[in-house]
This record gives sequence, structure tokens and C-alpha cells, in this order.
Amino acid sequence: MITIFRYECRRLTGNRFFFGMAAILLFFGQQTFERVTLTGVSHTAPFSPWSLGDFACRMLPLLWAAALSFLTFFTSPQARRTAVLTACCPVSPRRYAAVRLAAALAGTGILTILCLAEAAALTAWYFHLFIWDIVWKNLLFPALITLVPPLIFALGSGWRLGNLCPRLLFGWMALPFFLRLLPLADNFHLWNGQFFAQYPLTAGVLDPAFFIPAPMVLLQLLLAAGGIILAGLFPLPALPMRTRKRTAPKSREKRSSL
Amino acid sequence: MEITMKHVSLTYPGGRKALQDLSLTLRSPGLTGLLGPNGAGKSTLIKLLSAALAPDSGTILADGRPLPEQGDYLKSRLGCLPQEFGLFDELTVFQFLDYMAALKGLPCRKTAVQKAIAAVRLGERARSRISTLSGGQRQRVGIAQALLGEPPFLIFDEPTVGLDPEERLQFRNQFARLAKDRLVLLSTHIIEDVQAVCSRLIILREGKILFSGTPDGLIQTVFESGIPFPKAEKEPGAERIFPAAPTLEEAYLRLISGKEGRQPCRL
Amino acid sequence: MSALIFLEWKRLLSRPSARLILFLTIFSPAAGLFLFRPSAADTMSSVFLANPALAGGAAGGILFGLLSISELDRGKRSGTDVLVWTAVSPYTMAAVRLWALLSAALAAFVLTAALWIPAGRILAGSVFDVLDAFWAYFIFMGLALPLAILAAVSAFQFTGRADLSLALFGAFAILSLTLWSGNWQLCWLNPCVWALSDDFSNFRIFRSAAYMRLTWAAGLSGLWILSRPAVRRRKKRAAALFLLLTFFLAWTFQPFTDHSDPDQSVSSFDQIPPADGISCVRRSVRLFPDLRAGTVRGTAVYHFLNTSGKPQSAAFGINPGYRICSASAGGTAVPFSFDGRQEFNEALLEVTLPTGSETELVLEYGGFPREDRSLSAMQGSAEISEEYLYLPNADLAPRLLNVRPAGETIPAVTEITLPSHMTVIPFGPSHAEITAENEDGTLTWRYESEGTGGICYAGDYVRQDIEADGITVEFYYGRKHQDVMEEAGAAEAIQAVIRYCTEHYGPPFCLSGRTLKLIQSRTSGGGYATDGASLLDEADFTAANLKNSAKGAAPGEVMIHELVHQWWGLTQMFDSSDPADPWSAEGLTVYTTYRIVKELYGEEYADTHYTDQWIRETNDYYLNFYVRRPEYFSRLPKKKQLDITNRFSRVRQYCEMPLKIRKAEQLAGGEENMDRILRGLFSREIDPFHPFLTWETFLNACGLTEEDLNLDHDFSI
Repeated sequence: MITIFRYECRRLTGNRFFFGMAAILLFFGQQTFERVTLTGVSHTAPFSPWSLGDFACRMLPLLWAAALSFLTFFTSPQARRTAVLTACCPVSPRRYAAVRLAAALAGTGILTILCLAEAAALTAWYFHLFIWDIVWKNLLFPALITLVPPLIFALGSGWRLGNLCPRLLFGWMALPFFLRLLPLADNFHLWNGQFFAQYPLTAGVLDPAFFIPAPMVLLQLLLAAGGIILAGLFPLPALPMRTRKRTAPKSREKRSSL
Repeated sequence: MEITMKHVSLTYPGGRKALQDLSLTLRSPGLTGLLGPNGAGKSTLIKLLSAALAPDSGTILADGRPLPEQGDYLKSRLGCLPQEFGLFDELTVFQFLDYMAALKGLPCRKTAVQKAIAAVRLGERARSRISTLSGGQRQRVGIAQALLGEPPFLIFDEPTVGLDPEERLQFRNQFARLAKDRLVLLSTHIIEDVQAVCSRLIILREGKILFSGTPDGLIQTVFESGIPFPKAEKEPGAERIFPAAPTLEEAYLRLISGKEGRQPCRL
Repeated sequence: MSALIFLEWKRLLSRPSARLILFLTIFSPAAGLFLFRPSAADTMSSVFLANPALAGGAAGGILFGLLSISELDRGKRSGTDVLVWTAVSPYTMAAVRLWALLSAALAAFVLTAALWIPAGRILAGSVFDVLDAFWAYFIFMGLALPLAILAAVSAFQFTGRADLSLALFGAFAILSLTLWSGNWQLCWLNPCVWALSDDFSNFRIFRSAAYMRLTWAAGLSGLWILSRPAVRRRKKRAAALFLLLTFFLAWTFQPFTDHSDPDQSVSSFDQIPPADGISCVRRSVRLFPDLRAGTVRGTAVYHFLNTSGKPQSAAFGINPGYRICSASAGGTAVPFSFDGRQEFNEALLEVTLPTGSETELVLEYGGFPREDRSLSAMQGSAEISEEYLYLPNADLAPRLLNVRPAGETIPAVTEITLPSHMTVIPFGPSHAEITAENEDGTLTWRYESEGTGGICYAGDYVRQDIEADGITVEFYYGRKHQDVMEEAGAAEAIQAVIRYCTEHYGPPFCLSGRTLKLIQSRTSGGGYATDGASLLDEADFTAANLKNSAKGAAPGEVMIHELVHQWWGLTQMFDSSDPADPWSAEGLTVYTTYRIVKELYGEEYADTHYTDQWIRETNDYYLNFYVRRPEYFSRLPKKKQLDITNRFSRVRQYCEMPLKIRKAEQLAGGEENMDRILRGLFSREIDPFHPFLTWETFLNACGLTEEDLNLDHDFSI
């Protein structure tokens, strides 16, 4: 399946969409950094975990849309026409789906790393700091906790929705934008971008050490778990299938490793 | 390879009966042609045979193993080209076939891919992106992926669509060669394709087998049984030209236009 | 082709999704009443016309952009394109589809306007103007839809992919709505409209928004032409390049804002050394505004005495949008040049005066006045129209920078010709009189003033004279607002403010003849004052504000603030040489405004809207990272440094200083004691060589030191 993974990554990243999306994200990231992050978020330094976490929060909606866009490579009508060929192959549909999701995750990961690298580079350039210090001390953990669970959820939920109806993916892309407009409860403030802007103001100390409340971490973990569960429920069908009434197959032929 | 279907029926959720109490046996070696008007159930039959669908009733056995439970067993021995299919336009021909070979779990992928490319004469375009291929070349890629790994059971649904006459002739001969040591099922509307190379014909109409036998047997059956030629709407000035000797096409047309309820003919 | 467009339009509207988008667009202005309210002013037109129109433009633009991409992708996905192209060339079909989408957008706009303009009439009440409503919806919403369509279609035609074009269009829209929303040229989807006037015209802001929209239309049209299916048509490519060039030129040479130095601590014009041996005896100005074009043409005459015996250079500050048509002295042309520098909305003009002992310099000038770039997101104040005219200082006439007056001051005479329904109000102690009735129905007004500058207002004003504690207040307000003013008792409110200040501090002795002009201006976000005149924002007098029971029967705080400036800022002056100095007229004015508001609205209201806000903003300032760590501040780009510095100075003057004064009040023993101290400061004997009320003087009067008033995050008051 490594070969499949490699080809799927090539499909997802070797096209105009990927490069165009990367350009859009880099431009948007640069504008966000210059106009918001650089002024420092909630009295903290522009290179603090709070400011860089806020940056990650602001990039999330576009990254979410990018992740779902990768899924359209698998759920589009053209992809479904190709699926009639792949459905004739003796490969486990779930393994196949997992490999494809992994490729989508890899593509999303590359775009995410690009955005974060840009923020780190700009921070290092403006303030003459060592870039790896910024990454390891201030950027990595906030970005991981802010971006990884929602993007996993995006892929998992998008996989499910895309299999039901490919057009639902486009509506689902708007979710983070709506969440930013909603007044959510405190523990959900990572979802509407308010956590990094508000928490330092309530911490009672200046430049508080980076800290995420346990309920929030739990929610993020649940979000990621939800995405994994949703992704695993429905393997991609080759064509609109009638429901199989018989039991699942009991034997498997041994396959040489791919 | 032996495929056995016994009293297989399938009705789509909308209520349309795709197949009704259908029974047949396919054995290798041999090239079986599958004919029938649009909506006869050919594609449904092919989906059942490729374990893409499960029947409502009846059994399907592949080498004695029931489908779709043992679908993986069948798929590991199947090369299938559906009527409508898509390709990964972003990949080259070689990459796409390599991808399919990986999905099929073939041990020596590179060799298998090269053989398949050679079989469909796409050597010169092996490194070209699929998006740059013509329709006929895309069809050949589809055929090539079915040939990967030299599976013992091949299903081709309208494989020569988009090919020029020379290519059709070449592939017809290739199918015949393949059928010498494996089971090939060829579904087509082009009578010439089945006439020249098929050792057996199955004709479907409205989900039932109208005829199962040799091509000569069809001609003999239809003309000896006196099935009338279908009435054609006469246009002013139009004349029907009857060939001197009865053809397979004529026999086929007479058969499928016959009255409902006629018993299927088997030889 | 028109038949094809109609066919395509019908097909488009037969789609349920297109009809849904049409429906949503028609009702999208509702979001401007509750959710999306970019217009900050409180005027009825801002709230009930601008915001709905802007919301409709943003939402409708996004919806039509999505529809455009969906439509173009549909043909590709369904495979119908290959069939259609056998009958119509892809090049033509691209144009047909575009026109069909634009036609659908036009239909959506017409239906929206038909619904929401009458709704605006009901909501805005008596100040509603149907022409303003039409322009608001047309420019803010109607022109947004074609831009969005062009952007989306271009994105799709360039990329050929729905997903990438969605991402491109989405990012383009999000940038406009968020990060670019403060840049008037970049926010293509949601123009910077911070206010619409109720009482006066909105000519300037409409023009500015329309200019921005048309600029983007040129650019996006050029992009669309370039993106069309590849056909070798040189003429079309030339058209695309022409449009893109038009976009570039219109962007670069926009006529609305100037290029003033963003560093507001720099005031090099004030440091130009006086011309040696030159003095100005008098000056006069004749103005002929073109109210339809929004331009000004004028002739300014300066009488100089030159005792140096050599040519001298006279420096003037002039609006950067003006050009000098001619400069002559004694009938002979004299050389002049623009330095290239621009500061505080003035461009530096240098004219070489001949050697004669007496010189009469005549400058013919004119043009479309530009507004200060620092206020580019709040355009509209430089209004010149048949309903309203505002010409301040360098907009009125070239302002002398480096020539001393021959006497105590430079007497000036200004004549201005305007339609008969407009009343001219000089912003100062003088009054304008009609000197001629012209054949075309216009009137020529004349007034005398002093100094190198001057501000002139004109409009359809009503004048109401108010007597308050021995001061005659000439209250000028727009005729449209007459009913609201009378009903809300605005005159009584003004009396209350004057009475308070006079009782607590004494009469403002700067008033000549004890007359004070109060002029209601077109909404400007604030106001200002000068000797004998105060400017009040019309937003303070909206029906909503005046009827706001939470505020009692008194008008808005800005009116109070500007009136108080007659005491602190004019009667008592403050050294303004350092714009960043926290001690300024604003500190005591804001404090006094707080005291008046407390008396009129109650302590709770005053604390909520003043003290709490001061504490919040001052705390923000002290906690700001760059304030605490200035070494990082110096590493920022200069522009960013300037932005932050300008923001800090405002907080320090308007929030930190009043907070310190309140602390002084506490330490001094309470409000009564502070009133006594301030009365003493107000009526103290002024040193003519240093007439300013300084921070040290204040501290001394309170018996405190600077350390006593350090806040140090202790905001307990």
C-alpha cells in the first residue's frame, strides 16, 4: 500500500490546485502575520505561543477548506468513474480508504507546515530570533493542538459526507467560518479563534506561560477521535451499490506486501 | 476457471427486474459473447460476475466458491473493463498501470505493467500523462489494466468503443488468443466482434437468457424455427436489402424482436 | 449573441440553486441591520441605508461568486461543454455565460432595491433621501455583484478547477472583509463607508466608493479577458492590457486621498524658516466652487512687502489635489514649484517673489480636494456639493507658511459664490454677508477674517439663537433636522452645557462679543473648536440619539466635548508642538465632559462610558508588549511603528490623562476641591510669552507631584 500512498500523494500534490492553494495560504498568512500577529495578541509578544497560536487559529478555516478539497479528488464524479476499476481489485476497501485518507492528510500537512514555516520565518526575520527556537518553544505545541485535531476531523467527517454526496463537502467547508461568528462556551474557544486572544487577559499575569485547560485538550482529542471514527465507518464504494444482504467474507487470500 | 450461476435474480430498488431466474455456466478456456438490447441486463450480469453486486436470490459460484462472500478470490483472478470507467488523468500511463498492479497485489509489478503496455501497443505513450491521450488510447489503457497479471478470467464490456477498425481487428484477435487458455466474457453491440471469435453466445433480453449456444447454432435455430424478421417502418423510397445467406446479425435481430414468452433456445 | 444571452439567462434561472441564491441575495441586506454593521456612525442613513447595502453587497457578492463557479464547473462536469462548443465557440460561450450571470445579478439588485429602499424610508424616517438610498444600494451593493462574478469567473477560467477557483475567490473575499477592510482601495467587496450623512450630501463618499469599484471593474475585466479560452485574438489581448493598465493607473493616481507623511510627529512645514524681509499686508480669496463636479476654483491675492531687495521664496500649504493654474505678480508670471512633500493634508508650494518692495501675488488654483491618507478609511468630510460645502484652511486657499504678518495679523477677505439656498458660515467670529445676486441665481457672499487659514462651511442651514449665561449661541443646523432638533430640545441641552462650564470655570473670554457659533457639520467622527466657534457632529443629533432615554434629554457627548473646548483648548491654550505629549487640551476636556455627563446622565452611566473605558484602554496601553519591551518595538517596520505610536498617543491623551486628573481630584480632596483648582487655573493671569497651561502648572495647582499621579496599574479610583 506504500505504492498506492505514494501515487495518491503525487496525485494530490502534483497539480495546479495544490500549488495554487499553497500560494493562497502563503499570501493570506503573510497578510495575517503583518496585520494582526505582528502587533502582539493580548499584550503578549508577537513571537509568543499565544500570538502564534492565534495565527494558527486564523489559518485554520483555509486549511480546513484545503483538506476537504483534497477529498474531492476521491469523491468527485470523475473519481467515482475510476472507482469502478479499483473496485474490481482484491484490495480491502477499508485499507484502500485509509491509504487515501493518509495521502490527504499528508497533503494537508504539507500545506500546514508551509503556513507555520512562513510564520516562523517572518518572526525570525523581524525580531532576529533563531528560527528553531521559535518553532520548538513557541509554535509547535500551539499549532499542533489548534490545527491537527480539527484537520483530522475535517478529513474524517468530509470522507463520510463526500461518500454520501460530494456537494456536501463544499457546504462543510464553510463550518469554521460560521463557528467564528458564534458565541461558543469557554471550552470551545479554540473552535472560534477566541482562546488565544482572551485567555492571556484572564490569566492574571503578564506573558503567561502557554497553557491549555484540560477540558479543551480533551475536546480536541475527542474531535480527532471523532474524525478517525467517521473515516473508518464507510469505505468508499465503487459505484452506487445495492445493500449486501449476506455476511462479510470470512477468508482472505494472502497478498504480497505492496 | 468455472463460473456457475443458478437461478439468479436481481431487482433494483426502484422495482425494475434486472435479472430473472438466470442460470448459466462459463468455463475456461473460451470466449463467450454477451449480447442483448439496451436494458437487457448485460451490465448487471457483469457486475454480478465481478462481485460488485449481490443477487437477491440464487447462487453464483467461482470455482465452487460462493460470491460475493468469496469476492476477493474472484477479484484476484479477474481482469475487468466496465463499459464506463475513468482514469487518473494526473498520472502517466505507466504510473496508472503500476497503481492498478499495486492494488491487485501483483508480485512483479514492473514486468506485468510492461507486458500489459506491450499488449495494447502503448509503448510510445507509456510516459505520457493520461490527460493527453486520445479516446482510443484511453480505451487501450483500460484494456491494459484488465490484462495486468494475466488473470484467468477476463470481462470486457464494450472494449472496442473508440477504437479504429484496424485496432478493433487487432483486439478481436487478441481476445481470441487470450481465450485459448482462459475464460473471456465479451459484452458488445458489435456483432462482427462476436461472430469472428466467440465460441459461445449468450443473448439476454429483459433479464432472461434468450439464447445460449454457438453463433452457428443461433443462425440455425432462428431460421429453422421460422422466427419472422421484425417489421421495419417503411419510409418512402426505402428498400430493405436481404442478404443472400442468413447472417448472425439477422438472426440476432430476429431473435430479440420475437414475441414475449418465447422459450430460450439453448444448444 | 443577445438571443444566446437570454437563453443562457433563462437556463440559469431555471436552476433551483440559482433561484435560491437570488432569494438569499434579495434578503441579505437584513444582515446589515443585525450582524454586519461596518458603518460606525450613528446617523440614520448609516444604520438603515449604508449597513444593509454593504451587507447586501458582501453577501450577494459571495453568493454570486459561488454561483458563477458552480455554473462554469457544471458545464465541464456534465460534459455538455463539448456539445455546446460544437455550436458556439468557447470564446463566445464564455462571454455569453458572463453576461447571463451579470444579468441575473442585475435582476437580483433591482429586486433588492425595490424591497429595501422603501424599507429604508420607513426605518430612517424624516431624514431619508431617496437619491442617497439609490446610490447607496447601487454603489455599495449593485456594483459588488459584477465584481464578484468577474473575480470568480476569471479564477475558474484561469485555473480550470472548481476547487482551486473556490479557494482563490474565497481568499480574495475573506481578505477584503477582514485584513483589507481598513484599506479603502483594497476592500473591493465591502467599501470603507464609515458614515452616511442624514442632513447633508454624501457626494464624496459615493464618488470614492464608485471610483474604487470602477477601478476594480477595470482590473477584473482585464483579468477576465485574459482568462478566456485561448484564442489568438490580438485585439482582445490588447483590450485586456488596456484595462489592466487602466486599473494600474487609476489605482496609482487616485484623486481622493493624498500622500501625506504617515509620521504624524513630523511637521516640517512649521519649521520652514520665515522669509527674510518679507511680510504680508493682507490677502483676499475669491472662490467659485463647482458643486456638481465637487471641485473648487479660486483666485487668491496676497499683498507682500519685500524689504530684502532680493527675490524671496514664499511657501504655501495647499491641498494636494489642487494645481496652480497660474502665478503672477504685477501681471508678470512668476515661477512656482511643488516641493513634493505632503504633511497633514497639505502640499508644499513655493513661489518666487520678485524683488519689488510691494508685490501683489495672484494665484489661480483649483481642483478636486484630496483627503488626508490617515483618514482614508473615513472619507467623506471634504464634501463639496449643492447641499453642503466644507473648505478648511489649505482647501480654501493656499496657506502662507513662512511669511510674517505686516501687523499683528494678516487680515483676510473671502468671497464665495454659491446657490441661493446655501448659507455661508465662516468658522470663527466673523459673519458672512451677501454682496451680490448674480444673474444665474447664485449669491456672492463676503466675510472678513484674520490669519493665514480659515474654514468655511455652507449649506442649507437653519440658525437658532440661544442665550445661555450671558453668552449668545448661534446654533446652525441642517434644515432637514429642524423637526428633530425642536422636538428633542437640543437648544435646552446646549444651554445646560454652557451653564455648567460657566458656573464651574467662568465665561470663555476668547469669545469676541460674547457670541459663540455652534455649527452642525456633516458627520465627521468628532468635532473641533476655534475662537468663537465649535463644530458639532450631526451624529450627535440623530433622532435615535436624542430620544435615547438612557442618555436622558441631553445630546451626545461629542457635542459636550466640543463645547468644552471653548474653555479648555481655546480660552486656556495648550502647547501642541509635540503631538505625542499626553498633556493636551483633550485631558481636561475629556475630564470636564465626564463631569457634565455625570451630572446629566448619572454617575453609573458616566462611570460605565468614561471611567471604565479609560481604565480599560490605559491598562491595554500599559500592558502592550511594545510599551513594556521597547527594544522589540524598534525592530518593527517604520510604518508599523507609526501605526502603534499614533494609537498610543490617542490613548494617552484621551484616556490616561483624564484618569490621572481623576486621581488628582481624589488626592485633592474631591470634586469640589478640583472644581476650585480648575477655576483658579482657568482664570489665572496668563503669561503672554508663554500662554500655555502646562502639566507642571496643573500639578502645582493641585499640590501634587508627577509620581503622585503615576497610575502603575493601580486604577482604583
